[in-house]
Order: sequence, then C-alpha cells, then structure tokens
Amino acid sequence: MFNKFFKKLFNRIEIHTIRTKLIISFLIIGLLPILLSGLLSFNIYRGAINDRISDYSQEMVNRMERDLEDYVSEIETFLSREQDFYINQFIKLTQANDFRNNRKYAFRIWEDFNNLKQMKPGLEDIAITFQDGRRISSYGTFSIDINEFKNRMYSNLSGDIFFTPPYSNYLQKEVITIVSSYYPEIAEENVLISADIDLDVLANLTDFNLGEKSYFLIADQNGDIVYHPDQEKIGKRSLLYSDGFPNRKVNLNGEQYILTSTFSKSTGWYIISMASADEVEAELNYITDITVYLTLVVLLIIILLTVYLSYSLSKPIQKLQELTHRASENDLSVKIDISGNDEIAELGQSFNKMIRRINKLMEQNVREQKLLRKLEMESLDNQIKPHFIYNTLDLIIGLLENKDFDRATHMVEALGKFFRLSLSHGKEMVLIRNEIKHVKNYLFIQQFRHGEEYEYIIDIEDFEIMEKHIPKLILQPIVENAIYHGLLPAEKNGLVIVKGYRKNKNIYFKIADNGVGIPTAKVREINKILTGELKTDDQKKYFGLRNVDQRLKLMYGGSSGLTVESIEGEKTTVIIRIDQRGGK
Amino acid sequence: MFAQKNKILIIFILILITFFNLPAAAENIDQQEDQKNEQEITIAYVPRSLDNPIFLDAYEHAQEKAIDLGINLEWVAPFAYDAEEQIDIIESLIARKVDGMVISVNNTPEYINVINKAVEAGIAVATFDADAPDSKRLFHIGINNYKAGRVTAEGLLDVLKNNNIDYRQQGKYLNTMIMTGVRGALNLDSRIEGFLDRVENTNIRVKDIIENQDSVNLSVELLEQYLQQNPDIDIIFFVGGWPFYVPAEALPNFQKWAEDGGIAVGIDIFYDALLLQKRGLLQYLVGQDMATMGSKGLSTLYNYIMYDALPQEYIETGVEVANEQNLERLLQTHRPWRVK
Repeated sequence: MFNKFFKKLFNRIEIHTIRTKLIISFLIIGLLPILLSGLLSFNIYRGAINDRISDYSQEMVNRMERDLEDYVSEIETFLSREQDFYINQFIKLTQANDFRNNRKYAFRIWEDFNNLKQMKPGLEDIAITFQDGRRISSYGTFSIDINEFKNRMYSNLSGDIFFTPPYSNYLQKEVITIVSSYYPEIAEENVLISADIDLDVLANLTDFNLGEKSYFLIADQNGDIVYHPDQEKIGKRSLLYSDGFPNRKVNLNGEQYILTSTFSKSTGWYIISMASADEVEAELNYITDITVYLTLVVLLIIILLTVYLSYSLSKPIQKLQELTHRASENDLSVKIDISGNDEIAELGQSFNKMIRRINKLMEQNVREQKLLRKLEMESLDNQIKPHFIYNTLDLIIGLLENKDFDRATHMVEALGKFFRLSLSHGKEMVLIRNEIKHVKNYLFIQQFRHGEEYEYIIDIEDFEIMEKHIPKLILQPIVENAIYHGLLPAEKNGLVIVKGYRKNKNIYFKIADNGVGIPTAKVREINKILTGELKTDDQKKYFGLRNVDQRLKLMYGGSSGLTVESIEGEKTTVIIRIDQRGGK
Repeated sequence: MFAQKNKILIIFILILITFFNLPAAAENIDQQEDQKNEQEITIAYVPRSLDNPIFLDAYEHAQEKAIDLGINLEWVAPFAYDAEEQIDIIESLIARKVDGMVISVNNTPEYINVINKAVEAGIAVATFDADAPDSKRLFHIGINNYKAGRVTAEGLLDVLKNNNIDYRQQGKYLNTMIMTGVRGALNLDSRIEGFLDRVENTNIRVKDIIENQDSVNLSVELLEQYLQQNPDIDIIFFVGGWPFYVPAEALPNFQKWAEDGGIAVGIDIFYDALLLQKRGLLQYLVGQDMATMGSKGLSTLYNYIMYDALPQEYIETGVEVANEQNLERLLQTHRPWRVK
C-alpha cells in the first residue's frame, strides 16, 4: 500500500532518481515523528503551563489572604485595649473641658500613638473619636464629621470590628480604616478607636509579579473594589463580581484573564488574581519558538544525514548504472570497484563476473569464428581441386572438338553455377534450396565426367526446409565422398540418394550410396572420431566428414553433426543432423 | 433710526432689571454675613511638632479661648519636627478649606509657598513662635527674638560678673557653644543675632554652633556628646529649651561640667528648666509667653475672620527672666508638665 502511495507520489512529482527518492523518503520518515512528537509535547506543556499558572495564582492569593489576616490581626491587637488610664483620663477631662490638666494626657497619647505608628509600617494614623466627632490622633486634636465616618463603616463577619472602604483621611491620604469600640469605665459613652491603613499596605501585600498585564485586586463582599492597581477603580463596583468571585476565565476589555480568588473571613474581602491569558500564551509562544527552532535544527541535521546517506547509497548504484551503460555501448573493459559486503557490493561483483564471462565468451566466439572461417576455407580449397577443374575443362574441350556445342554449353553453365554457389558471394549461410542446387550441379558435372555409371535422386520430403539457412558446402563434400569412395570403386551402376526431411524440429539429410560400403570397424572409428571419443593426429584423415561435422557443431552445438552407417559391400549412409535450437 | 430706538429700549430694560435686583443683592450680602456669624469657624494651630512640650501652654490657652469664642480648634503637627510633613499637614488644611491657621514655621521658600497658597485659597494665615515674614501671612505673634537674645546675653554677663569671671580680659577667650534648632528658623537666628551683638565687645567667642533639628531627644544626645569631647568649653547658650525637659540625672556630662564651673544660659522658661536652674546647671533663663501666643493669636485671627479687624503685623508677647532672685517664686507659679 505504502509502496503504491510512494510510486504514485514520485510519478506525480516526476521524481525518477533513486537519490531524490531516498531524500524525500528519509525526510518524510524523519520529519513525521518529529512533528508529531513536537505537537504532542507542545499540547502537554500548554496544559501544564495553564495548570501551573492557576496553582501559582491560587497559592499567591492564599498567601496574600494570610498576610492580610496577620496584618489586620496585629492592628486589632493595637485597637483592642483594656482600660487605658491615659485614654480614660483624656476622655474624662475632655468631656469636662479641663484643658489645663488634660494636656499631659494628650501629649502621652500622641506619643503612644506615634510609637505604634513607628512599630507598624503602613499604619498611617491611630485615633480616638468621640461621639460628637472630636478626635485625638497621632497628628493632634481635631474634629471630623462623625455621621459621615459612621456611614462608611461596615462590620466584618464576626461583627467585632469595622472597616471602611478607601477614602481620603485627614491628611488627604488614601486609606482604609479599621474601627473598634472602646468603653471607658469612667465615662458614660463609648468612643471609637481606629487605625488608618495606607493603601500602599494593600499594594505591597499584592505586589507579586504575574506579568505586565496581570494584577491583583481586593474587593468587599458587595463587589466594591477596596484596592486596585488602577486607583480610579477603587471604590467602584467590580465588573467581575458575580455573587462572589468564583475561579474562572473572564474576558475584560477585550483581554482574556484567568481569575483566581480567595475570601478573607476576618476582613470580609476577596483577594483576586487576574492572570493575563495573553502572557501565559506569550510564555507558550516562547516554548513554541524553542520547539520550532529545535525542530528546524533537527530537520537540518536530518536533511544533512539524508543527503549523506542517500549519496552513500546511490553513489555505487549510479556508478553501476554508468558502467552498465558503458558496457551496453560495447565497452567491456569496465570494472566496478565497490568496497563492502552489502547487496550493492555483491551486485557489483556479479556485474564484474558477468563482464568477465562475456569477455570470455566473446573471445571464444572469435576463436570459433576464426576456426569456422578456416574450416570453410579448407572446405572451399577441397572443393576446387585442380584435377577436378582440369578434367572438367578437358571434357568441355573434347565436346567442343566434337562440335557437341549443346553439351559443352551445359557443362560450362553447370561449372559456372558450381563455382558461383561454392563461393556464395562470401556468405557463410545459404538457403537449403541453393545448397541442393549446388549438389545437383556437382552431380551433373560428375555424371557427365564419369559417364552414365550412376544415377542420383534428390528427395526433399518437407519442402518448407528449402527456405531454411544452413552453412554452405555441407552436402556436396558428403556426396563427393559417396561418388569417389562408394560408387566409383564398385564398378556397377550406382545410385546416390540425397534425402532431406524434418523431424522433431531438427533438419535431417541422408546421403546414401549403394557403393562398396565401409567395414564396420572403420565405421565405428569414423563415428568415434566425429563424436570426439577418438583423437587423430592426421589432419587429412576423413577430412571431408570431419570438416562438415565440426562446422555443424560450431554452428549448432554438440547435438548437431554427422553419423555414418554402412554395410560393407552394400551401402553407406551418412546422416546429417542439424539441431536448429542449438544454433547461434 | 430703528437701531437707535432699539438701543434706548435695551438700556431702559437693563436699568429696570438693576433697580429691582438691588434690594435682593443687599439681602444676599446680609444673609451671608449672618450665616458666617452663626456658622462655627475652624482655625487650626500648627506648632512645629507635638513632641515639644513648650507648645503645651499655647495649646491649653488656645483651647480655652476656642471654647469662649465658639471656635472649632484643630491642633495638628507632626509628632517630631519634620518640615516636609508639616507642610503636608498645611496642605491638607488648605484642601479641607479651614477658615484660618496659626502656624510656627521657617522663613524658607517651601514654607513661604505653602503659606501663600493658603492665603490665595482664602484662608487667613498667621504665624506664632517662628515667623515667615517673606510670606503673605497676616500677622505674627511672639516675642521679639532679637531682644530675647540680647536679654539673655545681658543676663550671662551679670552671671559672669557675679562669678568674678572677667569677660573683658584680653588674650583669654571664653569659648562658647550655641545650641539651636535649625539654621534658617528666623526666630532662632534672631535670638543668636541679639545674643552675639550684645557680647560683641567681650572676650566671649563662639566656638561651635550645634543644630538639634528641633528634637528634644537629639538635643540631649548632642549636648552630652559635645561635653564629652569638649569639657573645657566655658559657656553654653541654649537658643531654645530642648534639653531642659529631662531631669539632671539624665545629663551626667552636663551636670559635671556645670559643677566644674561651666556657665549655661538659655531661652524658654518652664518648670523642668527652672528645676535645672535650681540644681545649678543653668544660670540664667529668658522665657517667652506661649500662653498668650495661644489665646491672643487665636482671638486676633478670629476677629479678623469674623469682623475683618485688621491686626498689627507683629504682636509682641514680651519676655520674662529667671535669675537667682526670682527663681523660687517662678517655681511656685510655673506648673510641671509631667509628660515624661
């Protein structure tokens, strides 16, 4: 399936070289896991970052809530006074307008309150306020609008202390005030003892860096903002209020925030963290950039490795292809030099072996061709024997002297055809028809030379073989042997039969004569020499038979050749077998 | 022609409107005056600090006067002297639009600016104890500080004479250390100037001037340190009574120095200072009437606000002296503060 896919892909984008295919394959194989693992890691990290931000925000607001409660608790301790002699005296003498005796208590209260201010950073002022608005604080004595002040106050959950929302105090400083009641033993009415807390305390409590857009705020139970980094929002109803400040993702002024909150029981305030989703994303973007850069680096390494590997793999193949091409262009001197023991090296070795084999076969072929030419020439030499020519020419002269011009003309014509067919324009192969014609010419001439001493019959059973090619001068030497070694010594009317037929896709010729025959031992010897079982140093022995036999074997292989059968004193038959399947 | 006729018509209508509105405008002015009389006015006193008991007399008498006149009195200041904080307090009074303020300040650009700002905001501003004459303040109430310095110097010369110390002897100087609050406080600088002018033709020579930043605690510390390092100093002139609030036992170096014949004179009379004088640590004191600064300063500003009664620019409250002759009597008339 993958194979088909890659084939289609490569065909579509017309990529045909092995090297390019390797590069693309390696890149796809290398890149896919990296991209998949990168995406997976990114998503896992994204989830982890969001969880971490939420956990961190929750931890921060919880810590702020603890710090706030600790701070308020300490302020409460300042305010929760058991009967204080100086304060009691001051209240009593103030109500009596006894300024002479009261001044030392005023002085001591100023001193006491200022010492407390020194002890507690963020404590802007401590004051005792009478029900008519007269007040003594660390800044002296003055009066306030008591109704306005009381209207601001609201109690916490336990109801023992009161808080005010942020407002400008006597010194025009933005504060929140924590108020407690004080009941002096010596006076009928209670007074209020209060501490002004600088809003900077809340700013410091919430001074944790979550990011440039992220921030913390504090709001009361009604959702009114007690502290906000943007001071204009202080005192206003928070847009985030939704029956409290449940943890959630919110969209505020087009920005996404992760809201995390906690509730302080002692103050009745919510501490709220607003972590900018964009900044969380910005951290993710940073991770994304890192992932992309790492991926690019890994990709670059993969590309380099791919190029190197594909080059390493394709170079010997390219070399093999180049040498094969050269070999196909008849340069058989090529030799591939590939080290190693992999398949390509084995292929190279096989290629070298094949080239060596081809060279060997070529050399053998050349040798055989040379031998074939030599045998042909020998056969030709044997054909054109001088006394055959002289005798034939003498015969023609005699006919001319006898003014037997018709027969002389026939003889000259037959001799001309004989030589023309013997030479065959230098061709190695001739049509069987022509070879038959050649035999007929030869028999005609010989019959004319030797008188009517013998007859001949040429019988071709399967006429289709006439159009087949065979080496030239195959039949004539055998017919010549039949005349000279079989018929002429017999001194009787002889008969030569040349029979041609096809059997089992082999072409057979049988040249039979009714001459003197050959002794059986000699037949056996001849056949052994023809099959190579018997060697002979005499090159002229059975020359005609051996020449034809060798040429057939060279041309058609070992299954082709001659076989001699003879009954002494009766007949001799030479069987020529041409196995066309073994032909070159 | 038509335009001329229209102009006459418009002028006639305007005259009619003005005629009918005049009684209403007069009525409005009367109503505002009545409201001013009925409404309780707020006047703030801003001493230099709360931790200096010298201002307690003024505080006491200002409160009494405020009750008499029906004034809402505010007495506000930084606990320890701090110019910046004091200016912040004055700024807050401006923001709260008090009717008037009586303040003890320095004649420096920061104070002058804030005083002028208050005046421009319609607040009547007066100074007491320490003046800022270059500002637009309405008046100053206090002692003639130059004169107080001269009187102190004259008392010193009497003490020297009584102790048979020749302050005219040539070739031998009577080395003097001057302890002041801060340089630039006009009242303190005037006292030093008066003192130095009076001793100009004597062998009294100022060796060091020490600034205690108007801090009682720092003044004690600096005095003890100075005498540790300069036990041979002949004379000390305290321009104010900062270190006199502590008992003699808290000033061992000073005590020993006095026993060895050191002469100390100063300005500010109060019970604890008189006790030191009785113990022989101080030889001559000049006092200022802080009570009058509290009561008269308040009433003068009240009269200006309520009745536009323009006061004199300088209201002098006079000085008293404490010497061997009247020491016992003064101990009877001055009451201890008992703040420490």
